[in-house]
Amino acid sequence: MDTNFPQNNFTVPIGPQHPALKEPGLFKFVVDGEIITGASVRLGYAHRGIEKAAEGRNWVQNLYLIERVCGICSHIHALAYCLAVEQLANIQAPPRAQAIRTLVAELERIHSHLLWMGVSAHEAGFDTLFMYAWRDREKVMDLLEGLTGNRVNYSANLLGGVKFDIGTAQAQSIREGLNFIEDRVRHYQDVVTHDEMFLQRTRGIGVMTRAQAEVMGAVGPTARASNVPRDLRTIAPYAAYSQFPVQMILDTRGDLEARFEVRLDELFESIRLIREILNALPESELTIRMPRRIPAGEAVVRLEAPRGEVFYFIKGNGTDKPERLKIRTPTICNLNSVVHLAIGHQLADAPMILAGIDPCFSCNDRMVQVSKVKDGSEHDMTWKELRQYGIDYYRQLSK
Amino acid sequence: MKPILTIIALWLFPSGLFLLIAGLLYQWFDRKLLALLQNRIGPRWFQPFADTLKLLAKEEIIPEGVNPYLFVGLPPVALAGALTAALYVPIAGLAPSYGFSGDLIVVLYLLSLLTLCMGLAGTNTLDRFSLIGATRTLTQLFSYEAPFLLAMLGPAMAAGSWQVGTITAYAENHWLILTQPLGFIVALVGLMGKLEMPPFDAPEAHTEIVSGALTEYSGRGLATFNLGRAVELVVGLTLVSAFYLGGVSNPLLFVSKTLALLFVMVGLQALLTRLRIDQTVGLWWRYGTLLVLVQWFIMILG
Repeated sequence: MDTNFPQNNFTVPIGPQHPALKEPGLFKFVVDGEIITGASVRLGYAHRGIEKAAEGRNWVQNLYLIERVCGICSHIHALAYCLAVEQLANIQAPPRAQAIRTLVAELERIHSHLLWMGVSAHEAGFDTLFMYAWRDREKVMDLLEGLTGNRVNYSANLLGGVKFDIGTAQAQSIREGLNFIEDRVRHYQDVVTHDEMFLQRTRGIGVMTRAQAEVMGAVGPTARASNVPRDLRTIAPYAAYSQFPVQMILDTRGDLEARFEVRLDELFESIRLIREILNALPESELTIRMPRRIPAGEAVVRLEAPRGEVFYFIKGNGTDKPERLKIRTPTICNLNSVVHLAIGHQLADAPMILAGIDPCFSCNDRMVQVSKVKDGSEHDMTWKELRQYGIDYYRQLSK
Repeated sequence: MKPILTIIALWLFPSGLFLLIAGLLYQWFDRKLLALLQNRIGPRWFQPFADTLKLLAKEEIIPEGVNPYLFVGLPPVALAGALTAALYVPIAGLAPSYGFSGDLIVVLYLLSLLTLCMGLAGTNTLDRFSLIGATRTLTQLFSYEAPFLLAMLGPAMAAGSWQVGTITAYAENHWLILTQPLGFIVALVGLMGKLEMPPFDAPEAHTEIVSGALTEYSGRGLATFNLGRAVELVVGLTLVSAFYLGGVSNPLLFVSKTLALLFVMVGLQALLTRLRIDQTVGLWWRYGTLLVLVQWFIMILG
């Protein structure tokens, strides 16, 4: 993903290890003084081989593996996997299970968006908002812990249902927690839309037009801030979203301010939805019997993660293991926009533009690319070269 | 007697050891208060001392491609500049140890020495973050320096002398914050710019350029630069509160007034978002300079 990479220029590397990045990724910005004239991205520093690992485990074991694809939106991955496997097995989880899945997904969205707001504020040098946002995020984590027993990997899903029920006491504590969060989010909305100093860093920065967003394939809140109507919860409802419809939040401006507003408005929408689900939780079993062997076939599932569209493809061959599992996370779709939008902006805006898409590197890395410099230009190493390099390296070490 | 007094003035009080300790304590106050305002716990009182001792004990890595003499020599010069400036200001509410007509200008330039040294230290290395940080440090120096200087000369004009001791004596009977409020605002914010506190921390914005000009510094050099900044914090606070807040005629007044001033600065740090370097320059030349010139205009008329 190179854009105008003139040689022999002053390049500022952001990454693989850099205070602006919470995960490894390499962004090279060519600067002319403070103005960015070129940008490139390189990924693969956190490749873990999850897809391959999934092929070696059976359907149930995979549930635990898939939950660990992402450390922030763990539930949505497990949900996508469960829906895909259920689709293969041609069964449907009971309505109460679907409602609980949706509820946890929305709680997760609240925690993810609050986390994002804190990180973005930190990139802008507004640490007070960062600290407060993360303090209030703890409330959601507590709710999730009370509900599932875990703060991060909730492990709420089972193939064919969910693991726990929501009782009256739990529903009450969630309602109270949501009141607190709603109050705080209203305050943050006031801050990010009215604080003049903060607006100087977000208004008109990293503007992505609707046409650009469509060409670059942006997803999630990043796309919705550019007025692209792309929210799978509304356009292709899954789980319980058809019984509890969500309203799509759109903004026409496409800058960082719009992304803040879209995400904060989505928080209110999530809070409303959770309350609605709690009030009208359908009565039914929590699980449905799942066959050990899943019939052969292919399944595709698309879900709306907090960051955008998550895509799962599963191919079963009739055994107790998947033959192929493909995961595509939203970050990879949005990264392209960072490289394009950063050009012409100041270096100081680059971390903000990067944070604006809410990047999550570990979950999107699907390959490692090893390049070496030969004759002044970079090229990818082949498997043979890489092997030879390893042999030479250890031979030199043993000398 | 005189040589002994000179040695005490240079090494123990007001310059030297006393100022180093006071600087680190003030730095702790700044950090702790900011932490409390940001809903954090913050460091314990000895944390800056522990940091400094740890850094002093550590190996100093001299990176490739630098001029080693300059690399090692700049931090002591920066610290010495800040410590020398302290000899001419009323530290702890006592009269300045030394003074001559026009020493205000010398003090202000000695205080800029730290920033200059940091800029030089950044440009001395090959590191990209250091180079950008140094450019930003020097750009920022050129933007706040003139308004800050003009704001400090306001009290000098009112007192009719450019000697810090005389101005302080005059300011003890006149709360210049009331007669020159605009000048006070510029001086206060200018001090924040000088100390590279948020929101003027673009030169060391760590989400962009890691640690700015000092990225390559470790061990002794880093500790010395940090001490220089701590000393400058005290000297700067002393100057502004002595000039504008009705003087610092005894140690109690000194502590209360400088801490009150620091309190305001910490509040601003917690409230404001970091400015980009172009916004910093714009702020100073569009508003800072204008404010101070308006202040001068009022003084000349009045």
